[in-house]
Amino acid sequence: MFSRKQSKPPSVSSDMANKQKRYEALVLGLHTDIFRYAYWLVKDKAIAEDIVQETFLRAWKSLDSLNDEKAAKSWLITILRRENARRFERKQFDLVDIDDVSVADDEQLSNEVEIEHRELRAIMASLSEEYREPLMLQIVFGYTGDEIADQLNLNKNTVMTRLFRARNQVKEALDKANDVRGRKNG
Amino acid sequence: MDDLEFRRAALADPSTLDKSLLDAAANDPKKQEFLNDVRQLNSKMIRASKVAAPEGMAHRLLLRQSMENHRASRKRSHIIQLALAASIAFVFGISVTNWQYADGVSLSEHGIAHVLHEGDYALAASEDISMSQVNAKLARFGGEMTASTGRIYYANFCDFDKIKSLHLVMQGESGKVSVFIVPHDKAYVTDNVVEGKWNSQSFDLSKASLVVVSDIPSDVIKMKEKLAKSMQFSA
Repeated sequence: MFSRKQSKPPSVSSDMANKQKRYEALVLGLHTDIFRYAYWLVKDKAIAEDIVQETFLRAWKSLDSLNDEKAAKSWLITILRRENARRFERKQFDLVDIDDVSVADDEQLSNEVEIEHRELRAIMASLSEEYREPLMLQIVFGYTGDEIADQLNLNKNTVMTRLFRARNQVKEALDKANDVRGRKNG
Repeated sequence: MDDLEFRRAALADPSTLDKSLLDAAANDPKKQEFLNDVRQLNSKMIRASKVAAPEGMAHRLLLRQSMENHRASRKRSHIIQLALAASIAFVFGISVTNWQYADGVSLSEHGIAHVLHEGDYALAASEDISMSQVNAKLARFGGEMTASTGRIYYANFCDFDKIKSLHLVMQGESGKVSVFIVPHDKAYVTDNVVEGKWNSQSFDLSKASLVVVSDIPSDVIKMKEKLAKSMQFSA
């Protein structure tokens, strides 16, 4: 009984070290994109980080079930969407409107571009969730229509229609804003 | 590809490599312009979507996981500790039970066990042993029989629960009665026990305990009374 106990820890700890390495790779490789996606889902940085924390913690607990590293992204997205849904089961938060929060860009930008980005962000954030979610899968993760359909469990035609409407709404909102600006300036 | 179809496809996936869409754009400057506009818009959207992750988030993610791990392993060691404590309590419980049993071993019960174990060996003996012979053996325990209780078929030292004792088979009123004279050594409990057909009673005298076993209840009681009067132990 004791000899078995003594011979076991090395393999357990090397398994553990292996798991640890995989987890670190997962965190370092995907946390930024996962955070962005969470941010665009909930439109609040603090809540997004909370959800990402829960997502990665859950990922750690069931990391053994992830056999294909290529599937890691969609696996994490699935966990994240579930965590987000759970959040709504627990409590309906008052979401801060995106206009009220200044979101830092990833890179240093000129004032002009920054204003443009802020405008675009406000427009993208104002899209309804059914349009925003597939759009962000495409924009943040570079997913194809088929991949989005898989991830969201939707039919591909539905996905393509939503993507079209999402971008069309963004375009229209932008054109309208430019129109107003043009009239003011002119 | 008509105009509406083209616009839908371009807006749904601006970076598409779909050949019919690219061909349509190549053959129609207006479509090409629209596609270019949408692509430009898309790259702006992609750049605008790139909000910076909170500073140090990756480290917090790793830290939280290692804390969680630590907690889990502590929980595991708690379980091991609990199991250890349970084992110790279990062993302790068993020892206490054993110890209590050893402390209060029933003389009468052991007398029956002895008789059963021996079978006919002593009970079938049919010697006629004189009182002086018995007294010679009793002297070892500082005891003496002062009055006869009837014929004595068997008188020998025996091992009564690892204690050297005197085993007698005596004539009772109806049948043979086994008697054990056990010197006080362990903390025996004197009691009355019936097991199957066997009756067994035990009692303490000054230096030894007496155990009387027979398959006839009345023989046990009478022999017990006789022995209590005839056996004496000097200091």
